[in-house]
Amino acid sequence: MNSSETILKTKNITKKFNGLIAVDGVSFDIKENEIIGLIGPNGAGKTTFFNILTGGFIPDSGKVYYKNKDITELSPEQRVSLGIARTFQLTSTFDNLKVIDNIKLACYRLQYSPSVLGMCLHRLDSAISEKIEKCLITFGLNRLANRYAGELSLGEKRILEIAMALVIDPEVLLLDEPFAGLSEAEIDEVLMTLKEHAKQQTIVIVEHKISKITDLVERVGVMVEGKIIAVGKVEEVLEDPQVRKSYWGGV
Amino acid sequence: MKLSKSMFFDRRYIIVVVFVVLYLLRYVLPEAFVLEVVIQSIYVMGCSFLIGRLGLVSFGQPVYLAAGAYGTAFYLYYVGTNPYIGILVGVLMGLMVSIVAGVFLVRLSSSYFTLSNLAFCAIGFFLLQKVLVKYTHGDNGLWFLSKIDSTVIIDLSTTKGIVYFSFLIAIGVWFLYDYLMDRSVFGAACLAVKINEEKLRFLGYNAFNVKWLAFVIANTTAALAGSLNAIYLGFVSPSIADVSKAVEAVAISMLGGAGTLFGPVAGVLIFIGLKDIISQIVSHWELVVGIMLVAIMIRGEKGIVGSLEGIVHKSITKNNNKPVSW
Repeated sequence: MNSSETILKTKNITKKFNGLIAVDGVSFDIKENEIIGLIGPNGAGKTTFFNILTGGFIPDSGKVYYKNKDITELSPEQRVSLGIARTFQLTSTFDNLKVIDNIKLACYRLQYSPSVLGMCLHRLDSAISEKIEKCLITFGLNRLANRYAGELSLGEKRILEIAMALVIDPEVLLLDEPFAGLSEAEIDEVLMTLKEHAKQQTIVIVEHKISKITDLVERVGVMVEGKIIAVGKVEEVLEDPQVRKSYWGGV
Repeated sequence: MKLSKSMFFDRRYIIVVVFVVLYLLRYVLPEAFVLEVVIQSIYVMGCSFLIGRLGLVSFGQPVYLAAGAYGTAFYLYYVGTNPYIGILVGVLMGLMVSIVAGVFLVRLSSSYFTLSNLAFCAIGFFLLQKVLVKYTHGDNGLWFLSKIDSTVIIDLSTTKGIVYFSFLIAIGVWFLYDYLMDRSVFGAACLAVKINEEKLRFLGYNAFNVKWLAFVIANTTAALAGSLNAIYLGFVSPSIADVSKAVEAVAISMLGGAGTLFGPVAGVLIFIGLKDIISQIVSHWELVVGIMLVAIMIRGEKGIVGSLEGIVHKSITKNNNKPVSW
């Protein structure tokens, strides 16, 4: 398959909240197997746009296409089935389940269609064990496997959350501010994990600070006041006068 | 990968032992007490599961108990004489009521869910007492004790038979909950819903369906208890769905330890035990139970079984992992 083929794209997405335009006519292409960043100041509409990609919101107008299929109206569950996984800005692991059970729950749907009656019939232990074991080792979680997720540090939880998203081998992984609240060492750890997955998956990272992701992403889009004002290679975008003006206040 | 098992014996043996011991208590304690304990335990099980595993507190439990009781009563009063079919009809009635109610109620979150269930219970009470008075005979109730046929194998027309049957049913119910809560994927999904429903959706599961099914299972269990109670008493009246009893199931769940396997049994034993003992000494036994409940809540919301298992767990294993809920 051509590696530069567009996998996920939006066309003229607009979303308003009580008259406030959060996302304003955004058209954005995400190519297969690239790592792309989406940056912008607070309140630029990044998270809203992100939620439209993942099914959290349905846009007022415009379309979202995944592999040329219109998915604008699909629910988050349906999008996961197509291969779109996401993480949350506020780390969301299931703190009352063990680390391994978090991953098993994420992994279960690979084996069986996730109907609720099937979930009653299947044992949690019946999940594909090699896959889970491999996932635990890849993400360095095997020593924590039998701990409750609530006992982990924030960095460990973030890694667990990424592991839960990646264990189902999604074609597109959307990360919502994966570095928020982490220490420098933890950021490096998450970055390392992500780099290992580069070229195997399409990854979209929403980030507030650009410095964190410059050596990870291939392309970056800059969002300001609900509009994408520039897209391209990181160095090129950073040179863009418009970006400099709105992002750094014209410095 | 081998999981370290903190339990060195199968929990199903414990279930059987607990209920056999409880069954043998009938040679020491009044039979009516033992039967009340086992039927109430079945009734509270669903409520405890909803609170402890899904974070759904329902103040509408009496209405589901009544659905089962009236299903059985209608069959035995108007249609047939076989108590087994009566119980089956009661359970099916409970199933239908909870499926329909679930569609509307499960959408609501936290306190809205709690109070809408209470409202639903009030509607049920009103229906049974006033609207359907032609069929339910209102507050006079339906009497059908003499219509219950004696049956082969376990004779449900005798109290002895009902006690025996109720214990068998209880063991079955506990086996089911043990499997659903702690072994199945569904049980993990329930715990996930309690923490973060949205996240579960973004893992590709229909969180609504998980809650709905849990609601249906829990309330059908309550209906089963209602059916057993109806067969035992041979009588039902609308007071079974009285709103004033709505808190009871929740309080017992909390007392015993919500979401634990033996919490309902411990809670019911203490609740009914205290009621019977204390009410002979002081007239306001509710006060004592109330104070106890507050004390247990302050201890850490785990209830009696939750606190006990922490102590047991510490003495068995010496690591710092949180105890597995029974």
